[in-house]
Amino acid sequence: MDPVYLDYAATTPVRAEVREAMLPLLTETFGNPSSPHRWGRKAAEALSDARATAAQALGATPAEIFFTRGGTESDNLAVLGTTRALADEGQIPTLVVTSVEHHAVHDAAEKAESAGQLRRVVLDVSPEGTVDMDRLDEVLAEGHCVVSAMWVNNETGIVLPIPEMVDRVSAAGGTMHSDAVQAFGKLPVSVDAVPIDLLSVTGHKIYGPKGTGLLFVRAGTKISPLLFGGGQERALRPGTEDVAGAVGLATAMRLGVDEQGDLSARLHTLQSHLETRITKLVPNVRINGGMAQRGPHVSSFGVPGVDGQQLLMALDLEGIAVSGGSACASGSTGGSHVIAALYGDDDPTATVRFSLGRHSTKEELDRAATTFATVVERLRGLRAPG
Amino acid sequence: MSRVLVAMSGGVDSSVAAALLVEEGHDVIGVTMKTFCYDGTPAHSKTCCGLDGIMDAKRVAAALDIPHYVFDVEEDFTRDVIDDFVSEYAVGRTPNPCVSCNSKTKFPELLERGRALGCDQIASGHYVRVQHGDNGSSLLRGLDPDKDQSYFLWAMPREMLPKLLFPVGELTKAEVRDRARALELVTAEKPESQEICFVPSGNYRDLLEKRLVATHPALLPGPIVRRNGDVVGEHHGYAGFTVGQRKGLGGGFPEPLFVLEVRAETREVVVGTHEELYEDVVEIAGLNWLQEAPEAGSIVHVQMRYRAPAASGTVERLDDTLIIALGEPFAAITPGQSAVIFDDEERVLGGGRVSRAYTRTTA
Repeated sequence: MDPVYLDYAATTPVRAEVREAMLPLLTETFGNPSSPHRWGRKAAEALSDARATAAQALGATPAEIFFTRGGTESDNLAVLGTTRALADEGQIPTLVVTSVEHHAVHDAAEKAESAGQLRRVVLDVSPEGTVDMDRLDEVLAEGHCVVSAMWVNNETGIVLPIPEMVDRVSAAGGTMHSDAVQAFGKLPVSVDAVPIDLLSVTGHKIYGPKGTGLLFVRAGTKISPLLFGGGQERALRPGTEDVAGAVGLATAMRLGVDEQGDLSARLHTLQSHLETRITKLVPNVRINGGMAQRGPHVSSFGVPGVDGQQLLMALDLEGIAVSGGSACASGSTGGSHVIAALYGDDDPTATVRFSLGRHSTKEELDRAATTFATVVERLRGLRAPG
Repeated sequence: MSRVLVAMSGGVDSSVAAALLVEEGHDVIGVTMKTFCYDGTPAHSKTCCGLDGIMDAKRVAAALDIPHYVFDVEEDFTRDVIDDFVSEYAVGRTPNPCVSCNSKTKFPELLERGRALGCDQIASGHYVRVQHGDNGSSLLRGLDPDKDQSYFLWAMPREMLPKLLFPVGELTKAEVRDRARALELVTAEKPESQEICFVPSGNYRDLLEKRLVATHPALLPGPIVRRNGDVVGEHHGYAGFTVGQRKGLGGGFPEPLFVLEVRAETREVVVGTHEELYEDVVEIAGLNWLQEAPEAGSIVHVQMRYRAPAASGTVERLDDTLIIALGEPFAAITPGQSAVIFDDEERVLGGGRVSRAYTRTTA
């Protein structure tokens, strides 16, 4: 039987339209956009088109789009760059993050705090997806705040109340960033509709190339660069531009917005189907964030009575490609800080994340659910006393 | 063919072990144990199970087209291997951490997880052999006398033996390298790992200082004495000494002196001449048997140091402790080191840790 890929939240294949759009930039239009000759001009034109396309997909202006080399870089630039700008003005900035942020925000915040560069405040998120808004207001009242909250959580799919947070932050004169890496293409994400200051997007979660991303920075937002060099991206992200990557990202974003409504509706149906099947077939299983509003592509299950690492390996051997909390750096699957934040450090469940994409089918999900149930039953049997 | 879980450290031996199993037609799954946090170990590339080891194991597994997983066993490894290592040095003994790792962490973990993955057998790249017969399974020395690793496997739970496969135990190191080259494995020319994996610098004193309080007696100065009580010098912590050692005693002695004994209670390091290193009775505790235990009066062979020859002796007593009277006096028998019991030249009966050695005063 063919293996089933249900790890689209980890990464996606590059779609044909994106690949086709990129190819000329890898061959004939290979120039450096900064060069003053025809090769350079051609590349600059492609880059400028890509910027306009990406801006349109987000409801931004091209001048507000800064291409980066991925989501991690965009997140780091957003939270470190804005707090650094505040510090440059002689303020001691406060960086407010939620308890379920991606490591790209979470660890950057921790590191900057321990280096004495900022004060860090962590807002609790409940399993129902609510954020501690009283605490947010309290901190905002003290001034000099940057707030970073992900739009859709990568491990559980929980949607955080970004529009409401943006209202509060902007009313208090703070700066608001959102990591929209998992949200873009699955929910309407528009910086025109939601007056946020900064927003991160990456290409490889939306059928674009890996190593591509952007940071939206609203005009007038104070931000300092983390890298220094040739002044590209208006000196906020120097380094010779990856034109092919930018074109790939922009194409994926354009298609992502065009198809978002249809794709989300289809994924939502599949997600409900998968969750119904699994909760029916596997006794005593929890849908992580099941009471919260969630993105249509992530179903995370908490399974008691099994070891998480063993479960993932056994599923892989059966041809089901899923992940633990999230895909992890060195290949090991440690405990998830997100699940711990939602359900406590001593939560006894193993986490398995199924994430769906545009190629997922009902048949695949049925097969995955049945295999999942068989494997869980077998592993629970091995653990049972006697 | 059966499904086999093979432990792949990223070294050449386990790479070839995996390749041989694939050749034999087994359904092979590779795993690498992530045993400790690699932060602050710049020399990790030299160790058997560093992060580079994981990368190399993954590359070999990909070349062999087998699944590969990483088992995170850091917590167990820290408790059962590193903490044990530290507490042994703290009381003046010299541990074999690879023995605790194999018996407490590596093989039990492989067995348990192998079962979860539907594996019938467990394999590794150790230079040892197992013989599965009607009368049960036996652990034998590897065929390459220079590489034999049976010394590190005596403490394994006996019930595991029937499940074990050691594909390179029948080969010499040179043959293993040849196979690796022939298969163009990326690990073919990888150098041997010599140091303890969690002490890649070889300087375990740093680790002890990190994990013991700075004022721990093992790290404080103390006297260097002769057996007759004469003080001949001062040391900077008895944890730096092992029986038979010459280095670190300071010089200026009329004849070469060696560590004979580490007395934790008094922080004394006892030194003496080379002749004084010899003892003829060894007491072994913490016993584990892979075969029926030998009876009192029987002749056995006991290996008391890695790569040292086995000494023959007579079992004098066997209860919680095994006392062996050696046929000939043996030099530098070291408390804490494994003492592995063989029935002849080949077969491991079991083993324990040396608790003490002495010379019987004959009447």
